[in-house]
Order: sequence, then C-alpha cells, then structure tokens
Amino acid sequence: MTSSDRQFSRRRLLSGAAALAGGSLLLGCAPGARDSGTELNYWHLMTGGDGIVMAGLVDAVNGLNAGFRAEQTVLAWGPPYYTKLAMASAGGRAPDLAIMHASRIAGYAPGGLLEPWDLDLLAEFGVRESDFPPLVWQKGLYDGKLYSVALDTHPFVLYYNTEHATKAGVTDAIATMDSPEAFTEVATKLQKVTGKHGLSYGYLGDPSQMWRLFYTFYRQTGAELKLVPGTKAEVDEAAAVKALEFVQSLLNDTIATRSGDGGTAVSEFLHGESGLLFGGVWELPVLKDSKMAFDAMPIPTLFGQQAAYADSHTFVLPRQSKTDPDRRRYTYQLVAEILKRSVKWAGAGHIPAYQPVVKSPEYLELKPQSNYVGIPAYVNYDPDVWFSGAGSDFTSYFAENVQNVYLGSGDPAAGFDGFVQRLNKLLDRPQPV
Amino acid sequence: MPTAVDSPAADLVVAEGNSTGLARAQRGESLTGWAFAAPFAVLFGLFLVVPAVYGLYLSFTGETLTGANSELVGFANFGEALSDPDMWKSLGNTVWFTLLSTVPLVVLSLAFALLVNLGLPGRWLWRLSFFLPYLLASTVVVLFWTWMYNPKLGLINGVLAEFGIAPVAWLQDPNVAMISVVITTLWWTIGFNFLLYLAALQNIPEQQFEAAAIDGAGKWRQLFSIVIPQLAPTTALILTLQVLASLKVFDQIYMLTNGGPAGSTRSIVQYIYEAGFTGYRFGYSSAISYLFFAIIVLISIAQYKLINRRSAS
Repeated sequence: MTSSDRQFSRRRLLSGAAALAGGSLLLGCAPGARDSGTELNYWHLMTGGDGIVMAGLVDAVNGLNAGFRAEQTVLAWGPPYYTKLAMASAGGRAPDLAIMHASRIAGYAPGGLLEPWDLDLLAEFGVRESDFPPLVWQKGLYDGKLYSVALDTHPFVLYYNTEHATKAGVTDAIATMDSPEAFTEVATKLQKVTGKHGLSYGYLGDPSQMWRLFYTFYRQTGAELKLVPGTKAEVDEAAAVKALEFVQSLLNDTIATRSGDGGTAVSEFLHGESGLLFGGVWELPVLKDSKMAFDAMPIPTLFGQQAAYADSHTFVLPRQSKTDPDRRRYTYQLVAEILKRSVKWAGAGHIPAYQPVVKSPEYLELKPQSNYVGIPAYVNYDPDVWFSGAGSDFTSYFAENVQNVYLGSGDPAAGFDGFVQRLNKLLDRPQPV
Repeated sequence: MPTAVDSPAADLVVAEGNSTGLARAQRGESLTGWAFAAPFAVLFGLFLVVPAVYGLYLSFTGETLTGANSELVGFANFGEALSDPDMWKSLGNTVWFTLLSTVPLVVLSLAFALLVNLGLPGRWLWRLSFFLPYLLASTVVVLFWTWMYNPKLGLINGVLAEFGIAPVAWLQDPNVAMISVVITTLWWTIGFNFLLYLAALQNIPEQQFEAAAIDGAGKWRQLFSIVIPQLAPTTALILTLQVLASLKVFDQIYMLTNGGPAGSTRSIVQYIYEAGFTGYRFGYSSAISYLFFAIIVLISIAQYKLINRRSAS
C-alpha cells in the first residue's frame, strides 16, 4: 500500500464517518425517530455476577420493543452510589428509575428525594400488594405511601459442606440445631474432620459483615432495636451481650479464625478447610461455580425466636424536577417486566419478592435457593432511621465499637455501650432529611 | 515590579515621540496580559473563589442535602466542631500521618537521589523504578497493596512466615493500620521528591567538588559541606509541598481502610466528606473545612517564617 493509498482511504473513512454522523443527526430530527423508543435512565449498583444477571434482564425487557429502551448506569456499591443518587435527586436531574436497598428508604423518602409509586398504575401492569410477602411490602411504605417496590430479599444464611457433614455424622444435627451449645458442638465435630476450622466467617475490615451476624442473633433473642430521632435508642443490652459473647466464643481460632476477612472465609470454605460458612445469599454463584458439595439453609434459630438479617433490592422513583407521564408509564412497565422475569434474578442467590415467580415450578426446582425461600416471612431489616441501612455509616459505627470484641480482646458490654452512645448522639441531632 | 518604562522598547517609544504613544503601548500590553490571564481567571473564579465563598456562607447555616434547616445558625457549627471528639480524633490522625510520612519522604528521597547520582551502572533503571509508582493512579496502587497486605494470602505475610514471624493484620489492626497506609504512601509518592532532589543535585557545579577534593575534603565532608547546604532551597520546597500534601491525604486511606479499623486511620478530609456527603450536613461539613483551612494557613505561615529566617541567617 502506498502512502497516497493510505491517505485516500483515511480521507474516505473520515468522510464516511461524517456522512454517518450527519445521517444520524438527520434521523434524529425526523419525525419517524420516535419509533425507536423512549430512552429510560436506570441506575443500579449491581456488579459482578449480579451485574451480569441484571444486564440480561434489562436486555430481555428491551427486546420486547415496547416503545422504550432502558439504558443502565452501574455505579459502585455503598456510599459512592448513594451519594450520587442523593445528589442527583436533590438537583432534580435524577434517573427515571433506580435500585435502592430497602433499608435506605428511611433516609431518602422523608426528604422528598423519592416519589411514591402509584398503586393503580402498578396494578395495571400486574403488580399488587398481594404479590409480595407482607414484611417485604411494608418495608417499602413510608407515611402510608409506597416508596419502593422490592425486587428481592437477600438474607444472611448458613452454607454447609455436605461431604464433611456426612463424615462428621452431623447431617441431622445441622438440620435441628436450636441452641448456641448445639451449634458449637456441630462446629467442633466438623473442625475435627477438616483439621483446620469448623466454621468460616469473615468480618475484618467489613462493618456490614459484623453487623449482619450480630443482628441475626440479637433479634433471635426477641430483642428489638428502635431508633426514633429526638429520643434515646431503645435497646436490650443483656441480649446484645449474649449475642456478642456467642460470636466471640466462635471466633476462637479453632472453631473459626479470629482474623478472617470476607474473601478469606469464602476461599477457606471452598477449599474444604471448614464445614460451615456464614455468608450472604449473594455468595451462591461463586460456590456453585466451584462444583463443591454444599447446601444452604437459614441461620438456625439458636436463641428461641426465628429471625434473619436481610435487606432487599428495591425499585424507586428518584425525584425529577420535570416528569413526563409517558416516561413514567414506561418506567412502571419496565419494573413490572423485570419482576415477572425475576426467576433469573434468583439464579444470583436472591429470593425474588414477586410471589408468582417464587411459587412457579421453575423457581422451586432451584437448589439450594428454595431451601431458604421462607425467610421473607420473618425477615429483619435494619432499624428505620435516616442514618442506617446498607452501605451507610451506621454499620461503621457498630464496627468501630465492636471489632475488638470480635477479635477477642474487647468486652462485649463496653463495646455495645460505645455503639449505643454513638446512636444516641446521632438521634439527638436535628434530622438532615 | 518592572513597568513598561524599564524596558528598552519603551525607552524607544519615549525617545521617538510623545507620551500618548507610551500610554497606548502600556494599554496594549495590559490588554494582552488580561487576555492571556482571562481563561485561567474565569475558571479560578468560577470553580475556586465562588465555591469557597459559598462554602464560608454555608458554614454559618444548618444547610442539609435537601435544603431542610437552611437558616443561619451563627457560630453553632464551629462550636459543635470544636467539641466533637471525632473531629479531634480525625485531626489527630491527620497530623500523625503527616509526621509519619513527611520525615521518610524527605530523608529517603534524598538518600535515593544521592545513591542514583553516584553514577552506578544502569542509572536509567533506578530512576525509572523510583519514579514509576508516582505515575500510577491511586486506585491501582491501593488495589495491589490491598493484596500485599491481605492477612492470609498476602505477599508480605507470606515472606514473614518464611522467617517464622506470625501473620500481621496490616489493615485491620488499629495499631498497625496507619503504618501500612504510610508505607503505601511512601512507595507511591516518593518518586516526585526523588526527582526534585536529583535535578537539584545535577545543578551543583562540579568545580566545587574538585576544589573541595584539592583541599583534602573526603566524600562525607563534601556531602555535609557542599551537597546538603546547596540542596537547602530544594529541601525547603519539598518540605512545604509534602506537609501540605500529607495534611490533605484522602484517597489512599479511603480505599485501603475506609478510615477504619475503629476510626484509627480516618483523616480530617474524610471526616469532612462523611459529615457532608453521607451525613448530609453541608453546613457542619463546611465549618470543619474552614477550621482545617485555618490550620493549614497557620502551618504555612509558620513554615514560611522558619524557612525565611534560616535563609536570612
């Protein structure tokens, strides 16, 4: 190829590109362009396996060609996502639709950052209150209005290695554990089989993990944690100490390592170096990929009352300064279509919130997902207050005071007291939202 | 400041004719000056002066994300900040980090620059290896240091285990976490100081060393009597830049430990961020920003006086 050839082809390429750009500009002005559909902005925080499944769902709905196209924007989990969403809503230039944890609604709905859902319009697209577990639906209510429509419930659960369980002779015991002592006994027997640890649980540097396990056991004692701004936190210290002491007793470097983080815990369990794993349902895809022999179940009731820490991914309508009724309608349709396909979402471990999906044979065949399908009936979300919820500073305050307890050096009562004092300080301040 | 009259061209104008010509030349020059400065001045005003003044105003209000409680509250925010133990703790962490990081960042960068300047073979390789980390984005740096520090699978604990040393929870132990942050920061940023020192070293005239050698001064004598005094202005510059940079530390800490464990690495900038963006209290967060700003101004003045006095004496 000579240099003049190259020049020629480059020029042709450029002019071709210009023609294309011009052409699409023209198309954009043409009246027929509307047929290609309204573009809806949809923000969420699903990455990794969750992100792939969500992208698949969005593509499937876009494939319907129902007059709209959802364009997803994926942001990093936690404070980055929630800060951006709050800023966008406060400025009135929010996306048409966003995902939010149910536990964060209390921080967003009162400040007018969210718009309530229109129940009639939802019903028109086949989404009604009766399609959701009562506790999950209620968590979306604020001041009597519905601010979020749940996609799922994602609890903290117990995974166990079925081969180790058989070898240790605890298969039946795992199914019937009903006291801290029974749990410790099973874990100890499994430790003898693995030669390393009986249980894997990672929490170092991860405040949410510390909170999830504590709150599960705390609520199992029947204790509550009520936070109302302007008043002192209502807590049950005896119950908290009981729960913390139990966690401390498990993290003794024999039953479980005292210094494990989330990644280490999963890898330990995957390599057969432990028999049990406390983890979120979102760990399921990784465990399944490994082809190891395992099963999953709700965290057993060890303190008398059924309870499980969980959160829900929910759909919300962030506040926009200008709303277009057509866009809104399409947004409702988008949500309804995703909910109806949420059996795919169950593949990522989560329990779909939309009951017609949960009752379908396709879902019931999913193992081990269907083992923990009952959890939404007794689920425990974070306390309803503006500063709590997934990825908020609330769990950091908990971890700041309690990490030493988990590490074995701190006093449970003092650690919990420190946390409560911090809560009281926050409750004492004027609410910013 | 030199004026147009000082320049030969202006003399020429005066010599040639009348005073209006001079005024025209001056006006033309100042117009050109303004034109060149305008883009910067506009951006500076728009993105620095205006937000800074607005921030000062906010610090006297109860402004929140949603605009609730946006009335003036006087000095209440400042009062709250001064009696806020978390503010003091974050400030203490920041000062601690500055002390821990500045000293090695000056001393080590000088040592490395001296070593490289010795004229060892493969000098380009040494220069490259000290400077390369500085070019990386903080996210990249944090990503692989997180792996290095991993208590179970990390390289550092792996090496320690070879020597029979028990694993250290680098980022999770409140007593160690800040040291780990400093090590990462050193590795990442030392290249810039190193480069400044290297440039300054190469500016010292060779004759001075020759003269000193003739007078019988050994290598160490030369180091303390020629090199270090000649580098004094560079050291002053590095010290000033380094203290300011360390006081403003945020990104690597935020990503490595998120201020934990137990708040032991939370810097004041992170506390400002949390107060404003996750606690939604813009007024309060602006007040802490201004307190911190005042501290930085005081430190800068002190540093300036100290350096000036030294160079005057």
